[in-house]
Amino acid sequence: MTDVILRTEDLKKNFGQLEVLKGITTEIRRGKVVSIIGPSGGGKSTFLRCLNRLEMPDAGKVFFRGQDITDKKLDISKYRQSIGMVFQHFNVFPNMTVLENVTLAPVLEKKVPKEQAREDAMALLCRVGLSDKAEEYPRKLSGGQKQRLAIVRALAMKPEVMLFDEPTSALDPEMVKEVLNVIRELTRSGMTILIVTHEMSFAREVSDRVLFICDGVIKEEGTPEQIFTCPHDPSTIKFLSMVL
Amino acid sequence: MEKVIKLLTKYYPVYLSGLWGTLWISAATVLFGCLLGLLVALMRMSRNKVLGAVSHVYIEVLRGTPVLLQLYFFWIGLPKLVPFELSDTQCIVAALAVNASAFISEIIRAGIGAVDKGQWEAARSIGLSEVHVMTHVILPQAIKNILPALCNEFISTVKGTSLASVFFVGELMTSFKSVSSATFLALQSLTIVGAIYFTLNFVLSRLLQVLERRLMVSD
Repeated sequence: MTDVILRTEDLKKNFGQLEVLKGITTEIRRGKVVSIIGPSGGGKSTFLRCLNRLEMPDAGKVFFRGQDITDKKLDISKYRQSIGMVFQHFNVFPNMTVLENVTLAPVLEKKVPKEQAREDAMALLCRVGLSDKAEEYPRKLSGGQKQRLAIVRALAMKPEVMLFDEPTSALDPEMVKEVLNVIRELTRSGMTILIVTHEMSFAREVSDRVLFICDGVIKEEGTPEQIFTCPHDPSTIKFLSMVL
Repeated sequence: MEKVIKLLTKYYPVYLSGLWGTLWISAATVLFGCLLGLLVALMRMSRNKVLGAVSHVYIEVLRGTPVLLQLYFFWIGLPKLVPFELSDTQCIVAALAVNASAFISEIIRAGIGAVDKGQWEAARSIGLSEVHVMTHVILPQAIKNILPALCNEFISTVKGTSLASVFFVGELMTSFKSVSSATFLALQSLTIVGAIYFTLNFVLSRLLQVLERRLMVSD
């Protein structure tokens, strides 16, 4: 049990009348790569956003290393430092340079000395091929570069888990690859990763486990082999027949 | 024109001290108005219903009553409310700042509201505290959005200080009144004061334009 890093228990979330999550129970093991697939509006993103409490679940619990993070008394920003997130629309900070985007949180929240933060940031930017853009503002970056920056910004906090919420859905096709390459490299580094994606071949390639979420529940889960080659649930079969 | 020059040469110290008065009353009003306005804007946007309601009433009352009335109110009422001595000028600055804060708070609120929701989420997701989310990510972007509207508000604040002359607290309009009653050259004195106001606001709006351009480096 010790290597379970995230666990959800009957997670529910409504937006007004709409039940988006109808009870999701699962656990994520440390160092594993878990892909979440399923039709739009099925609750994939909402599930992910409940894990770092960008959405507060209406019912159910989320445990991070055994600690209940739906507890209102929890210092949520402290917790979020251990959970990196990458968004569909990048959400890089336009008012800061690339380097400042990366050093902001370590300097402010972890009290890393500025010089140290700069060095760490440059090393990370180097890893994703952005070191020559360090002093630029994000407006000068392409979509793919912005997303790589967003990944680095999250990694700078040395998180234990990375959440990717459709990281390539807003990208032009020619930029999808460069972002997937960065994520692929990350999956090999032993990081715990949850990724909501529509890139089925990528999910199949990098995942240890695939969750198929539809209508607010996990309809089916298993290894990529199981899900992609012999799905059992009718909704999974239907979904895969449409996207593959 | 001759008379204008005559007035200027003879009474320039009066106008200068009036200008000084207008400058510092304006500066104090803008400073306190902004601080108070930010506070009110944050209250208005907070999830706390009481804070929200209080700030809402505050804004509506200040927008819905004449500034001059508010000046009288503070001038008469404030010294009775506080346990220490207050000069007329301090009462007037307080009233002007409170009035400006109502308008500034709405401008700030609109500016914060215009910042993309994703910016809040990204800032929170990297573990910034709520205060740092505001001070480092949201406000810098909001200020850029609202600078033109703030510029208008500052200019109307400068012009609004002329109302203080009702209480003879020593600013440009008071200078006009003193000089014109001493010389009976009302129109000329008014022209001089008008020119000073215009110059002041012209410079102010240019300065803000420069600031705006500097803030735009990231776009």
